Amino acid sequence: MERNTQKNGLVNLMAAVMIFIAAFVVTCYVNSLAGQAASIFLGLGALVAFGSWFQMRLEENERLEKLEIDELARTKGDSTLFDAKESEVFPARRSREQFEKFFVPGFAVLLFILEAGGAWLLWRWIGKTTSGIVDVRAMPSLSLFAIFALLLFLLGRFSVTIARLGDYRLLRPGSSFLLAGAYVCAFTALGIAGIKTGFPKTDFWIARGLCVLLGLMAAEMLLTLLLEIYRPRVKGKITRPLYESRVVGLLAQPESLFTTAAQTLDYQFGFNVSETWFFQLLQKNLAYLILAQLAVLFLSTCVVFVDAGEQVVLEHFGKRIDPPLTAGAHLKLPWPVDKIYRYRTEQIQTIYVGFTPDTGKDEQNVILWTVAHNQEQNFLVANRQTAMIQSDNTDTNDTLKAPPVSLITVSIPVQFQITNVMDWAYNNGDPTNLLTDLATREVVHYLAGVDLGDFLSHARLQAADTLQQQIQAEANEYNLGAKILFVGLQDVHPPTTVAGDYEKVVGAYQTYFAKILNAKADAIRTNALAGALAFTTTNVADATREQLEVSAFARAALFTNQIPAFEAAPSVYKQRAYFKAFADATASSRKYILLVTNTQDVIIFDLEDKIRNDLLDLNVPNEQSP
Amino acid sequence: MKQNLLTIVIGAVLVIIFALLLFVFQVRQSEIAVVTTFGKPVQNITEPGAYFKWPWPIQNVYKFDKRIQNFEDKFSQTLTADNNNLIVTIFTGWEISDAKEFYPKFLGSVPAAQRALESMMRNAKNAVIASHNLSDFVNSDPQQLKFDAIEGEIKAEVQAELSTNNYGIQLDFLAFKKIELPESVSATVFSRMTAERQQIISSLQFAGDAESNNIASAADRLAAGVVNNALADATRIRGEGEAAAAQVLPVFQQNPELANYLLRIDALKQSLNQRSTLIFDERTPPFDLFQNLPKNSPTN
Repeated sequence: MERNTQKNGLVNLMAAVMIFIAAFVVTCYVNSLAGQAASIFLGLGALVAFGSWFQMRLEENERLEKLEIDELARTKGDSTLFDAKESEVFPARRSREQFEKFFVPGFAVLLFILEAGGAWLLWRWIGKTTSGIVDVRAMPSLSLFAIFALLLFLLGRFSVTIARLGDYRLLRPGSSFLLAGAYVCAFTALGIAGIKTGFPKTDFWIARGLCVLLGLMAAEMLLTLLLEIYRPRVKGKITRPLYESRVVGLLAQPESLFTTAAQTLDYQFGFNVSETWFFQLLQKNLAYLILAQLAVLFLSTCVVFVDAGEQVVLEHFGKRIDPPLTAGAHLKLPWPVDKIYRYRTEQIQTIYVGFTPDTGKDEQNVILWTVAHNQEQNFLVANRQTAMIQSDNTDTNDTLKAPPVSLITVSIPVQFQITNVMDWAYNNGDPTNLLTDLATREVVHYLAGVDLGDFLSHARLQAADTLQQQIQAEANEYNLGAKILFVGLQDVHPPTTVAGDYEKVVGAYQTYFAKILNAKADAIRTNALAGALAFTTTNVADATREQLEVSAFARAALFTNQIPAFEAAPSVYKQRAYFKAFADATASSRKYILLVTNTQDVIIFDLEDKIRNDLLDLNVPNEQSP
Repeated sequence: MKQNLLTIVIGAVLVIIFALLLFVFQVRQSEIAVVTTFGKPVQNITEPGAYFKWPWPIQNVYKFDKRIQNFEDKFSQTLTADNNNLIVTIFTGWEISDAKEFYPKFLGSVPAAQRALESMMRNAKNAVIASHNLSDFVNSDPQQLKFDAIEGEIKAEVQAELSTNNYGIQLDFLAFKKIELPESVSATVFSRMTAERQQIISSLQFAGDAESNNIASAADRLAAGVVNNALADATRIRGEGEAAAAQVLPVFQQNPELANYLLRIDALKQSLNQRSTLIFDERTPPFDLFQNLPKNSPTN
């Protein structure tokens, strides 16, 4: 019996469109990531349902046209009707052919773009977004998605069965999408249910899985389009619709995979493996096997294996069971009656105060004050010197006073261990963050009461111990159940902006000592030279004295010997002495002798020293000359 | 028949799971819950365990974390009593004490509650900080710091606000997390720190100059003393030589005329020792020899 599949196609289309709109609204309402992916999938299903329904209409028109033409041909066999062009005689067929030739490939390309673009954009969006499901709207949304899944399942199953039994190829794509949409909605509901039952990442991972599904569909569509170019066109051969997805078909009817596998095995082994007792048993009891697997999975939640270095908090219907489970195997009631929460109690954990570790700079081997090696923060620290100056200048207006503080950069890692897991788990919503806040507060408090100079020098050793005690006291006060193991003042220095000036002070100290040493060296030289000069001076004086004494005695002896000669011939002796001395004394002198004395001539002597002739020959350039 | 049994079992399991999801809920040790009937909060659940409820939309269960939740307010600028600008952030620990009161006031939204709490914190923070001087926050004498007192004042303000309107929230603690200066003020503090360093550098530089000058002048003084002593010794030694030489003067007294004549001769020698020009006439001995030279007779 010929069935009009147009109605089924129209029902599929309307159901797909309505459920797509409803799912989109619910997704926005609950803010589910998996819901967003499911909405894209359902939207694609609505498009495919529309395409197949439209093609069904064209084929139905063609079928009616053919019946009409056949009827006319029987009644008017020799009519001139068939003399006209084929396109004029079979407009519906022509329309269908044009549709398959141009619209269907274009439609397939559009689907590919939507699938690929949807998968890519959604993947990126899921990776970046931080918003989660609105908790209070989760249950209604879960129920609605479950209803969508049920509706789509019933309608999709019905359509798929009709399409398979009647071999209605155009009904198949939309039906598969409806049935696969039912599973997608069911998974979305599971994702929301997972969050409600304490698995906050289920929605995220299901959304990721649906992104992968969209990506696979896009890849399949691209491959189909490429193969379509080289497909041999045989006139009259009915082809599979280009926009029909095998991936979606497999998702909608996974049992077809079993059939395909059986056929493959039969072909591979050369005999009917699928008819062996084992294969038949497997096929018949597959559902039981899956159920058994699920039962084993469920029962496995009755056993807890606690690793070394961790403790497990056990809750029975949400109520904590003391004491916590330690390393080893333990039995418990199955999930969700008993739930466990694991904590690494032996692990040494670290929080950071005053800086955010920069993993990119961990490779640096040299750490300098003048180069920021982490994302450092500045802390206020007291400055005694400025405070004293301000207290001395009491007449200064308050508004003109600079704050008597300095700034300092500290990088303090705080290592801790969980010592009481119950306190750690139940007293605070975010104990690690609270411990960071408390440690930061203690550092701020400590620095606000210590002088910068003291802290950079002698108070530094004491500071680490003090801070460790204070942070531990705070952790105890707030019942964090943590032990502070180590507080490291690993990097305490003035901010990088002024660190260079601190280095200059060190340079100035060196210059200071250098000047003193140079002066001491000069002093040594001066003193040594003065000693030498004194020694020379006294020696010269000694020589002079000796010369005076010796020469006086010698002259006296000479004079004693000259007296007899003088007394013997006084005038001759004097003349002789005079001429001898005159000759010796004037030997090298220039002498002018005036022999004429009775004239009135005036003789002018020019005794001026003459300039040297070679100096007269010097040619001095004249700036005035051209 | 076997297939139907399987279907029935699976269906029954699914129905049970769905029924449990609809009718039963669990409250954890760390949670507090409120049950609403047709939207009206009717029951507070503070103890952990499994509880029955009517399915949605008749009853709804809203669960909240009852542990202490901590958050910090915005890093905001404020003014102290002595007109110093500070940027301060405080963190607080709070918990939901009454879910029935909490749920309708914040529609069950913890972020909304934190926003409301943050407004109160900022208001109290600015008011309390404005009544304290900077020295209460930063002081080289730790005894003068009033950190704890200021935190107590802010907490009291916020607690008073919470208890007045019964938000269903209990404030457990409140403390400063960071205190900083605005960027422009930080720049001036950096300038001052640089100036302090520069002061030390200058003092070291001039102290070095002064110290080296002191050392040099001391050395000069010492050297001058040594040289002067040497000169004095030299003078004294030369005087001793003069004195020793004077002991022979009586020898010259035996013939003063000759002694003086010889002294003049020595003086003449020494005075003509340098290159000099002398002009004599013919009367000066020995040139007086030229006076009696024979003259040439004139020729015709």
